[in-house]
Amino acid sequence: MILNTKMTSFMSLMMMLCVCLSAKAAKNGQAIVKENCAPCHETGVMEAPKMGSKSDWEPRLKQGYRNMVKRAVDGYKNMPAKGGNPLLKPEEVAMAVDHMLVKAGLVETDQPTTDKKSATDKKPPTKKVEKDATKAIVKAVKKKPKKTANSFNRLMKSKSDWNPPPQEDGIHDPDNESTYMLQTPREAFSDIDKNPFGNHVDWVKALNKGLIDPRFDRLDPEKSGILMDLNIIREVKGSMPDVVYPHKQHTQWLDCSNCHPSIFIPQKGANSISMASILMGKQCGVCHGKVAFPVAECRRCHSLPKQKTDLAR
Amino acid sequence: MKSVIRVSCGILIALTFTLFEAEKTNAEYGDIVMNNYSAKAEMRPVVFPHWFHRIRFQCKVCHADLGFKFQAGGNEINMLKIIDGEYCGACHNGEIAWAIENCNLCHSAKPGTPTQVHDSTIQKLVAPTFATDKQSKQ
Ligand code: HEC
Ligand code: HEC
Ligand code: HEC
Ligand code: HEC
Ligand code: HEC
Ligand code: HEC
Ligand code: HEC
Repeated sequence: MILNTKMTSFMSLMMMLCVCLSAKAAKNGQAIVKENCAPCHETGVMEAPKMGSKSDWEPRLKQGYRNMVKRAVDGYKNMPAKGGNPLLKPEEVAMAVDHMLVKAGLVETDQPTTDKKSATDKKPPTKKVEKDATKAIVKAVKKKPKKTANSFNRLMKSKSDWNPPPQEDGIHDPDNESTYMLQTPREAFSDIDKNPFGNHVDWVKALNKGLIDPRFDRLDPEKSGILMDLNIIREVKGSMPDVVYPHKQHTQWLDCSNCHPSIFIPQKGANSISMASILMGKQCGVCHGKVAFPVAECRRCHSLPKQKTDLAR
Repeated sequence: MKSVIRVSCGILIALTFTLFEAEKTNAEYGDIVMNNYSAKAEMRPVVFPHWFHRIRFQCKVCHADLGFKFQAGGNEINMLKIIDGEYCGACHNGEIAWAIENCNLCHSAKPGTPTQVHDSTIQKLVAPTFATDKQSKQ
């Protein structure tokens, strides 16, 4: 998806205006390049193709104009997305690319062509890009309710953004047809207990209720492992409840060798564990905060209330 | 000299913005992008969905029996190993799951997406989602 789904409808409307007025806006190609692209493309740092150098640009254009614009919009190797300016609209990035191609002498003008006859293969298909962009904008406007001054979830995912289909999730390529064959997590999860964090489902409940039945063995669906029901209580200084580490919920998924001895010495109290190292992805943080439920769910680990006397200490 | 300063400012600004871009993706928690070799071979990077596989297999099947290390990009997976039945190829062989001729079901990430665990604590705290290839190699 070229467009940021978080784009407000106001900006999107502005963008539509821009598309309509593109003949006028195209004049700004030069200005956009000057403000956003020149630092790298004037000097050619990090092997950026240099402004005005035909030999730098020609082989890239041969790989397709759309591809170039896409790379400029999404970022490519050492080049950040939109040259590092997320406020640029895809059309503006396209204009900047057009301008650079003009400077390199590869196309005559960066005015959008209305004359069909002059449109050769090498000419940037500006119209097509605009059309695609317009489609995307219309979609964004339709989907996103207007954000007002009093809107919620400004810095937080709203519920409607949970478990989106792959083509809308920002890492799958919507231009890849196979992306549309992948399963949408929201559909797979429809019957499973919801949870505000992580995958937005409670995997422990799902497993214990038998809603999912992950195989213990790659080939044999009947085989099952031995569960170990041993809780280890780790006392925590300060106000936070003590941590109960349950072997049971872990051996439902994991092998002893996943933790012992590579992550934990199998001896109560032998490991010094801290919240800081968990946040940095060590110890419990090897899994919690990456695949198993994230650190935000304090109470699931800090589950043993302290005795009153403990707190008074 | 002046241009050097301008360039470094440009890069700094660029990096700052990529940090803000991190907010943009909405991918499933635990989705892993693998891009050690794909971009160089002009393939889309690979997306491995943990949520999908953990419904079907316990972690130990992959992380103990098949020897996947707990590190995104840390297993040096390539196509030769896969067709020889290692890593993804232990299942994507036409018996347990669809075979590897379905390139783009695996190679499905946006071009240029670096190796990462999506939505990890560390990513939320420090690293940008759309870091450049170089940054992702830390
Ligand atoms: C931080 C430096 C930097 C900035 C800022 C930057 N670029 Fe780039 N750009 C690069 C580098 C480096 C490459 C070469 C990537 C490669 O092929 O290794 C590149 C390549 C390109 C390409 C060729 C892509 C291809 O298909 O090979 C285009 C088009 C492009 N940039 C457009 C832009 C536009 C438009 C802007 C401004 C909106 C911009 N760049 C800003 C560094 C930058
Ligand atoms: C998810 C990681 C994990 C898995 C999987 C795991 N353990 Fe542990 N184990 C721990 C932690 C954490 C401790 C506590 C260490 C401490 O307190 O410093 C522990 C402690 C132990 C202890 C010491 C108990 C005591 O009272 O001193 C034994 C024995 C042990 N584990 C055996 C096993 C066996 C056998 C398996 C496989 C069936 C297993 N563990 C699976 C994380 C794990
Ligand atoms: C090797 C990976 C791994 C490590 C290391 C690990 N866990 Fe877990 N943990 C899991 C998985 C997988 C689950 C199942 C639930 C899920 O995925 O959200 C789980 C579940 C739990 C649960 C059960 C929650 C409930 O609702 O019943 C607790 C509590 C927990 N972990 C605490 C810890 C603590 C404390 C540590 C560190 C001492 C730790 N874990 C280390 C993988 C791990
Ligand atoms: C995956 C399990 C887990 C989760 C989730 C978790 N903690 Fe912890 N926490 C631990 C463990 C283990 C310790 C170390 C206990 C010890 O000293 O042995 C700890 C220790 C602490 C300490 C004591 C100081 C320190 O750094 O050791 C504080 C405070 C704390 N946690 C706060 C929190 C808060 C706040 C949250 C929620 C945002 C949270 N924890 C979520 C497992 C967890
Ligand atoms: C079908 C196989 C499979 C299953 C099942 C699976 N994983 Fe993974 N896991 C992978 C692959 C593949 C990677 C990425 C390895 C790479 O990039 O080289 C990975 C990476 C990881 C990482 C490393 C992330 C990082 O820090 O870079 C963690 C942690 C992890 N898995 C935990 C789990 C847990 C917990 C479970 C069970 C709930 C699980 N995995 C189930 C295949 C699997
Ligand atoms: C333990 C066996 C196993 C391993 C190892 C494994 N997969 Fe899978 N994978 C499966 C199964 C089973 C399916 C479901 C097939 C079906 O539904 O027909 C699947 C499906 C998928 C899907 C499609 C998900 C969807 O939305 O339909 C992708 C993508 C995928 N795997 C990627 C990978 C990658 C990449 C690797 C290696 C890093 C890998 N898998 C390793 C068993 C495995
Ligand atoms: C089951 C998932 C899966 C399928 C299907 C798949 N790949 Fe891959 N492929 C991977 C993984 C994982 C990597 C390693 C990614 C990385 O780190 O860049 C990889 C890497 C590659 C690489 C770069 C490394 C190398 O071995 O040269 C190429 C090229 C490649 N794949 C081509 C293909 C082609 C062509 C197909 C279809 C015939 C295909 N792949 C199908 C998972 C898959």
